[in-house]
Amino acid sequence: MLRKDVIENILDAALSTGGDFSEIFVEDKTNTGISLIGGKIEHTVSGRDYGIGIRIFDGFFSVYAYTNSVNEKDLIETAKKAATAVRKMKQKGVQTINYQMVDQLVNPIEIYPDTVNKGKKVDIMQRAYNAANTYDKIITQVTVHYLDSHQKILVANSEGVCKEDIRVRTRLAIQSVASSNGEMQSGYFGPGSGKGFEFFENLDVEWYGKEASRIAKAMVFAEYSSSGKMPVVIDNGFGGVIFHEACGHGLEATSVAKGNSVFAGKLGQQVASSLVTAVDDGTIPNGWGSSNIDDEGNDTARNILIENGILKNYMVDKLNGRRMFMEATGSSRRQSYRFAPTSRMTNTFITNGQSTKEEIISNTEQGLYAKYMGGGSVNPATGEFNFAVMEGYRIENGKITSPLRGATLIGTGLDVLGKIDMVGNNLELGQGMCGSASGSIPTNVGQPMIRVSEIIVGGRNGEENA
Amino acid sequence: MVKKMLKKDFVGKVLKFGESKGLKDMEIYYDSSRELSIKTYQGNIDNFSVSNSEGVSFRALHNDKMGYAYTEKVDDSSIPFLVEEAMQNAIIIDSDDEENIYIGSDEYEEINNYNPILDQVTEEQKIQLTLDLEKEAMSLDDRIQSVQYCAYGDVTGETNIINSKGLSLSTKSNIAFAYVGVVAKNGDDLKTGMAYKATNDFFKIDSKEIAKEAVKEAVSMLGAESVQSGNYPIILRNNVACDLLESFSDVFSAENVQKNLSQLKHKIGQKIASDNLNIIDNPHMEDGFASTPFDGEGYPTQIKKVIENGILKTYLHNLKTSEKDGVSSTGNASRGSYKSIIDISPSNFFIENGTYSMDDMINGIDKGLLLIELQGLHSGLNSVSGDFSLACYGYLVEEGKISKPVNQITVSGNFFKMIKNIEMIGNDLKFGLPAGSYFGAPSLKIKELSIAGK
Repeated sequence: MLRKDVIENILDAALSTGGDFSEIFVEDKTNTGISLIGGKIEHTVSGRDYGIGIRIFDGFFSVYAYTNSVNEKDLIETAKKAATAVRKMKQKGVQTINYQMVDQLVNPIEIYPDTVNKGKKVDIMQRAYNAANTYDKIITQVTVHYLDSHQKILVANSEGVCKEDIRVRTRLAIQSVASSNGEMQSGYFGPGSGKGFEFFENLDVEWYGKEASRIAKAMVFAEYSSSGKMPVVIDNGFGGVIFHEACGHGLEATSVAKGNSVFAGKLGQQVASSLVTAVDDGTIPNGWGSSNIDDEGNDTARNILIENGILKNYMVDKLNGRRMFMEATGSSRRQSYRFAPTSRMTNTFITNGQSTKEEIISNTEQGLYAKYMGGGSVNPATGEFNFAVMEGYRIENGKITSPLRGATLIGTGLDVLGKIDMVGNNLELGQGMCGSASGSIPTNVGQPMIRVSEIIVGGRNGEENA
Repeated sequence: MVKKMLKKDFVGKVLKFGESKGLKDMEIYYDSSRELSIKTYQGNIDNFSVSNSEGVSFRALHNDKMGYAYTEKVDDSSIPFLVEEAMQNAIIIDSDDEENIYIGSDEYEEINNYNPILDQVTEEQKIQLTLDLEKEAMSLDDRIQSVQYCAYGDVTGETNIINSKGLSLSTKSNIAFAYVGVVAKNGDDLKTGMAYKATNDFFKIDSKEIAKEAVKEAVSMLGAESVQSGNYPIILRNNVACDLLESFSDVFSAENVQKNLSQLKHKIGQKIASDNLNIIDNPHMEDGFASTPFDGEGYPTQIKKVIENGILKTYLHNLKTSEKDGVSSTGNASRGSYKSIIDISPSNFFIENGTYSMDDMINGIDKGLLLIELQGLHSGLNSVSGDFSLACYGYLVEEGKISKPVNQITVSGNFFKMIKNIEMIGNDLKFGLPAGSYFGAPSLKIKELSIAGK
């Protein structure tokens, strides 16, 4: 993407004021986005993101600069301008870089989406729409979004690394709205992958369309969840957002290195129920959060974060690793060249336990069953999290009974991890976009069904006097 | 100057190439920005970032449909990509909506959102301000354990719209902001607080004031506990009211109304809120970061009341939705960036000040809550149904006085019901952090909302 001598010149210019490490990240990415509303293609955009990010370290101090410019002179200028923030005189040389195209071992691509006719993409969307729209008369609106992207990157640094990689992502997002008696409720499903167009060809598009409508219909007839502390059973797949928020963010070096995490200084200690083993694995073949290398050029890895409740590792990037005296774990990521990379989750999940789904439900006297979760957020410094239940049900006498809407779960990470008292055996992953310090990136969350013995459920208290 | 010439040259070439492909109605939207950010950690500059970036969006009518394409690689190699992709994209569109390139107007409001003095402030001054902010935040109270983040940033941006109908518009703006987040500690109890200032007058950023606000907030929450679940009278502090207004602002978009995604359909002229509620969209507001002479389609912007004395007066329109409804555009066409299609967004969008002070509101409450922060806004609410259920924190109000801090609770309700139950409107209008649109609200006293806790 850039000539070897140009890269070396830029890396050199970046060190001209005495920085001890320099890095360049080149990105060339094409995107397609198509939106269908009410059965008709409303709009479509295709685009090309292109730019270069330069990073310099001087001990713990870091400098970042980016530009869209493509010519060598501008790039050297940008590197020099960035270097002025480092105010030393001595210069450290750049090691000769070894250019390497990374093998597509983690994410092999069969059909690059840019080679596929747009009409075929529309066909997939129409299938999803038809399935969702004909599910039931109560469905009044369906929107379908199609996304594909093809990102080529080059990452090179003053320690001799120079790698090129390709990341392809594909996603279909379906939203159904059900209306009854002036009430509107929506259901959503958004399957995605690190595969090429073959992802859509092998996807049971109709099932996802119907499922989005089924959720909307179930929720329009649901009553508001009641409030208070109660046992909560969270189903597999996107339910893993609880671990992502309650714990995952607190295990990123971004917050651990500066002590802004409740998990800082707790390696080797019991931080969760002994039933919990949690992993961040950037090497799952074609996973939504997988890549062949991370955005610093490190190989991605399967990192065990928590094993039988004991904290084993954090997710560490190069810069924060300096503060923590720890090696990078292959989990340094960024949205684009506009962001300096930092430690982020890839595919993060709780591993399978022993219980069956039936056992977990039948062992729960009273409580809330969260079939599908919405998103959530966390304050890593205090560990306080919140997230929304998209589709909920009441559990009474060990049985799933009436549908519930509007439930929010809140708590603190350490508390909820300690209260996981049953772990199922039906691990699945769910796709989401995670927003944090280095932008919005695709991440998988995941878990088997779990039960938390007690969690605060926010709902309504009887009829609102409105 | 060289850059400007290149850009004009590029625009000419794109339009010419488009013409050669048989396109007549074309538009180029060009955005460029220059950014700086400084972050500190424990008394030192921890990160320094600079950038120069640009992007071009091209849209054109082909077979009567509007196709879009964009690029960040602004050079000749991108010209065929822009034109050919836009044409291919137009071909697959089957919506009946008519989208057009705007011919332009004779009257545009003069807006001055660019403060040249900001460019003369040195990097040293900006670094000093950031260091001072961190130092202030650490020194104000012994209970402050650490500064979670402390940063300064500024952005200068320029937007141009040039089309084949002869329209050529340009606007420039800049903004500087500083923010700090602190962690207060008492035993095992940790609480966070943050505060910010956004302005394009660098000398209006008072590090002491920002630090004081963040520290006060964090310390005031120490010792917070949950409360008994129940329905309570609620005061939404200005920032909280503003967050809710922003999160539900989609419901005023004519696009959402026409697509059956807003409950405000068929409600124009009807009473949808308390008599005391006025919501204004003012794109000409002084110091309004969303102030602009023209919208994303080049249409002149205008001031309007969206809700007047509780009555819904208008939706927010662009050319496409206004044509469909047989009204004029309200000048709310938006482009999030050159990557986006034409959508609809508010400009400086706010609830008008009322007459009550915070004390007036608190005094009238026997047992209720004053909420100072909402969390999980991206997931805990649904603008289609209007329902929200959000983690939050604030203070318990008893017998007309703030009695203690409260956290680990959620607040839930329905936006459409809530705006009918606003009992008092404060006189403390405050705007949030600008991001495309710029939202503001005074504190609001709501008759009752549902709180979940113990």
